Amino acid sequence: MSKAAAKAKAQVVRLLIPAGKAAPTPPVGPALGARGVKSMDFCKEFNAKTAHIEQGAPTPTLITVQPDRTFTFITKTPPATYFLKKAAGIEKGTGKPGHVFNGTVSLKHVYEIAKIKSTDEHMKHLPLESIARMIVGSARSLGVQVVP
Amino acid sequence: MSFLRILERPQVCFCRARRFTTTAVSRAEKPKVVAASAAAAATPLSSCTKDTVLTGLNYLKGQPPVLAAADDEYPEWLWTVLEPKVWPDDGPGGKAERVKRRIENKQRIKDRNFMSTQ
Repeated sequence: MSKAAAKAKAQVVRLLIPAGKAAPTPPVGPALGARGVKSMDFCKEFNAKTAHIEQGAPTPTLITVQPDRTFTFITKTPPATYFLKKAAGIEKGTGKPGHVFNGTVSLKHVYEIAKIKSTDEHMKHLPLESIARMIVGSARSLGVQVVP
Repeated sequence: MSFLRILERPQVCFCRARRFTTTAVSRAEKPKVVAASAAAAATPLSSCTKDTVLTGLNYLKGQPPVLAAADDEYPEWLWTVLEPKVWPDDGPGGKAERVKRRIENKQRIKDRNFMSTQ
């Protein structure tokens, strides 16, 4: 029993944080504080790591908190929907995907977005064509029409 | 003997006829090929012309704006990405068969689920 308690599992926290702008109390603070992580430490490290990314771009991060309260985190590329909304020039996706269309995006946009996403760790082994098809699927859910 | 002579004559004529027909065909093909390539260059594959600014894709700090390149600088598969993927048939036990079976199975499950609500 004591051995099982000592091997308490590392907890994983998934957050979407604007690059370079960590440390607001509502999203980041309680999520990390509940697991015993000093949020200031995390925010300094996070801002340093995302310094090369345009400030404010939502960055999905995966924070692994060990039982002894040390943490490591991984950052990924911004969500595909973020790029699609920017490329189409819209603020929000449509309320009725498939029926109401919001914006238009070209296949060249899709190619460039796929190139960005393929730099991610979990997308590196995939062929670019597959990634492009994933992005076309995301665009369909957003109500953004993909035009050749 | 006369039979042999009859056999000889048409062979000679046949060879001559063949030579004429091949040259006629090759002459006809060349202008068609030229016309086709000119047509391909004229009609663009994409609505996005060269050097259009692709907004929002320069998400790194200090990255210059991303510009669209010319149509032929993009891979061929990009122009077919909007259509469902066609798998070449590679015989029994191949990928095409598996993909087809998976789609059929999924549809069968959906139909069964729907019928159970009726």
